[in-house]
Amino acid sequence: MFKSILNKSRRLAGIGSIAAVLLAAAPAMAQDKEPIVFGGSIPLSGVFAFAGVHIHAGLTDYTSWINSQGGINGHPVEYVMEDTGYEVDRSVAAFKKITGSNKVPVYYGDSTGFMKTIASELNSRGTTLMSGASFATALTDNEQYLYQFIPGPNYTQMLGIILEYIATQGKDGDMPTVAFVYSDTEFGKDPIENAKAKAAEMGIEVVEDIVTKPGSVDVSAEILKLRRVRPDFVVFHGYVLSPINEFMVQMRQMGLDTQFMGTFWSSDKLIINKMGADADGYMGVMPYNYYDSAEGGPMLDALRAVAQKSDPDAGYRPTGYMQGWFNAMVWTEVIKRTMDAGKELTAENMAESLASIKDWDTGGIIGIPVSVQDMSFPVGRIWRVNAKEERYEPVSDWIHLD
Amino acid sequence: MRIGDAKHNYEADEAIFSSSTQKIWFALFLLALLIFPFMADAYLMYLGCLVGIAVISTTGLNILTGFTGLISLGQAGFMGVGGYTVAWLSMNTGLPFPVTLLLAGLLAAAVGILVGLPSLRVKGLYLAIATLAASVFLHFIFAEWESVTGGMGGLSLEPAHLFGLTFQTDFAMYFIIVPLAILMVLAAKNVFRTRIGRAFIAIRDRDISAEILGINLLHYKLMSFALSSFYAGVAGGLFAYFFRVVTPESFPLSMSIFYLAAVIVGGMGNLLGGILGAAFMTLIPEVLKLLTAALTPFYPNAPIFMSPMLEIIFGALIVGFLIFEPHGLAEIWHRIRRFFSLWPFRN
Repeated sequence: MFKSILNKSRRLAGIGSIAAVLLAAAPAMAQDKEPIVFGGSIPLSGVFAFAGVHIHAGLTDYTSWINSQGGINGHPVEYVMEDTGYEVDRSVAAFKKITGSNKVPVYYGDSTGFMKTIASELNSRGTTLMSGASFATALTDNEQYLYQFIPGPNYTQMLGIILEYIATQGKDGDMPTVAFVYSDTEFGKDPIENAKAKAAEMGIEVVEDIVTKPGSVDVSAEILKLRRVRPDFVVFHGYVLSPINEFMVQMRQMGLDTQFMGTFWSSDKLIINKMGADADGYMGVMPYNYYDSAEGGPMLDALRAVAQKSDPDAGYRPTGYMQGWFNAMVWTEVIKRTMDAGKELTAENMAESLASIKDWDTGGIIGIPVSVQDMSFPVGRIWRVNAKEERYEPVSDWIHLD
Repeated sequence: MRIGDAKHNYEADEAIFSSSTQKIWFALFLLALLIFPFMADAYLMYLGCLVGIAVISTTGLNILTGFTGLISLGQAGFMGVGGYTVAWLSMNTGLPFPVTLLLAGLLAAAVGILVGLPSLRVKGLYLAIATLAASVFLHFIFAEWESVTGGMGGLSLEPAHLFGLTFQTDFAMYFIIVPLAILMVLAAKNVFRTRIGRAFIAIRDRDISAEILGINLLHYKLMSFALSSFYAGVAGGLFAYFFRVVTPESFPLSMSIFYLAAVIVGGMGNLLGGILGAAFMTLIPEVLKLLTAALTPFYPNAPIFMSPMLEIIFGALIVGFLIFEPHGLAEIWHRIRRFFSLWPFRN
């Protein structure tokens, strides 16, 4: 009898186990679709690591969030990356390695150099759409860079937004004057000629044009030049921090009331952290809401919740994090649109889907609905440092360039 | 069993291959290089090409630094000259790649001669600084001569072509880069079997004695610079065809240091050392990344913590080599060879 009870129990346990396995497997079977791979050449070491680690965190957190939402049309998402040290040859190696062992529809490129280098291969492969850390104007040339896009405004558009803002600051019908200070790099020189042409069109006089080494410390000669022309605005481009701080502190010590502005990579908390009270009044163009801004929205709230959960001690998340997250959001939207149209995930089909993005609600990451124009999102807002509060506050509406 | 190498005449002493065993191994090595592209995936293919380019440039620098004793920090600049020459010629003339590569090498050699002029008066660290200045000057030209170099945006070029064939993929480029690397290493080997190569070595060992022996120092030093820069120019040209874009940032100063480190780690004054050094410097960072990949499944944040560590490990490996094997990887290889040559009598 004991034996029969035991057998019955065993049978029940067996049936129970099978049922449990089936129940547990049911959601997995529902998601039993081929994973979609987000690839990335990420600079976790090297000179761009200060941004790379946050970009990586943004991409990682978005991946876990989208998977918690059921993936993309039921396909789980897998994020596969390699560190590049911000070196082009290592970025290319990572690209070859990742795309060699995975089917990768979308990929994060860590530099303009890498994205230019890989362009011909991307064009000939036709399998992968790429965006990344670069906002280079050249990459929005649709004839040469067929399958690359900018996850925001390109550098020319950023300066365009800054000039639009400056144009509104004139008094008594006079346009303010501006000086450009930029680094002697491809990054620094990128938008300057276009910006000068736009300024001329808008009637804004460019009174000085200064090029320095990135990270310069002794810029006294350049500051004397600016003192002579007394610009209303100085626009920095192509720097992370130095020599922006040197220019600001020394020009203020000279009693100049010039206002200082910068583009994406020089508009994060680093300026506030390093300069303290001296950073007050510095302005930056930013296509995304800051992590600690007063703005909200379902996606921005989700981002903050995921960030808080993934690293509760991290506190403020820099703009690199926002950029990584937004990149992945755009990829998801592009893949979803391509799948919904019943098309294969080829670079050409995805580029078409990207171009079809019109008045897209980003759930608060960007404050207004956005549209893609020439493989970029030409939108941004001017933010100003409130040093006391240690944060950026908006001083303009969202500006969408036509 | 082969025990030692007895040489009976000068020809045997000067031979490229000192034994039939060496010839067999070299043939097997060539066979492996031939089979490699058909077995390798895109990633390994890419690394293979990269090592090939590095071998050419390192061999060039080895001729100058390892064999002639003239230290140079201008290798990246010379490669840049080659890269821009190829890019400009292919964009504006449509010449096939053998011609553009040859012209790239020759122009780089001409620039190398100019840069080498101070070498008669200065050597050691002083020459290093002179060549460094040349490198900075060349970088300035790449960035500022916009009408020719495209300025900071650089130049994009069409794939290499010859007789209607287009070399667009890494697979196709492999069949340009690797045979050229083998040819150029063999050519370098031959240089050191001639009067010219022996003059280089004499200058390295003691330039005053060399001059007393009748070696024209300026002539041979400039020849060494020209030869080394020619190699760099060809490597730069291949680099341009391989990546299909050249910008001033493609040839940073760190690249010169990379090749100098490859020569030192591989073994100065030893062609095999140049090859091993180039392969080591190119591949070890990739091998180290496998460490991170192995850890990632267990520890998802491994890339963030390991990436800076890998740079340190890479640096430590180089320092370790210099301390424990100052004659470089080539010496380790020779020791292994000696072991098998003498076995079982001595190990």
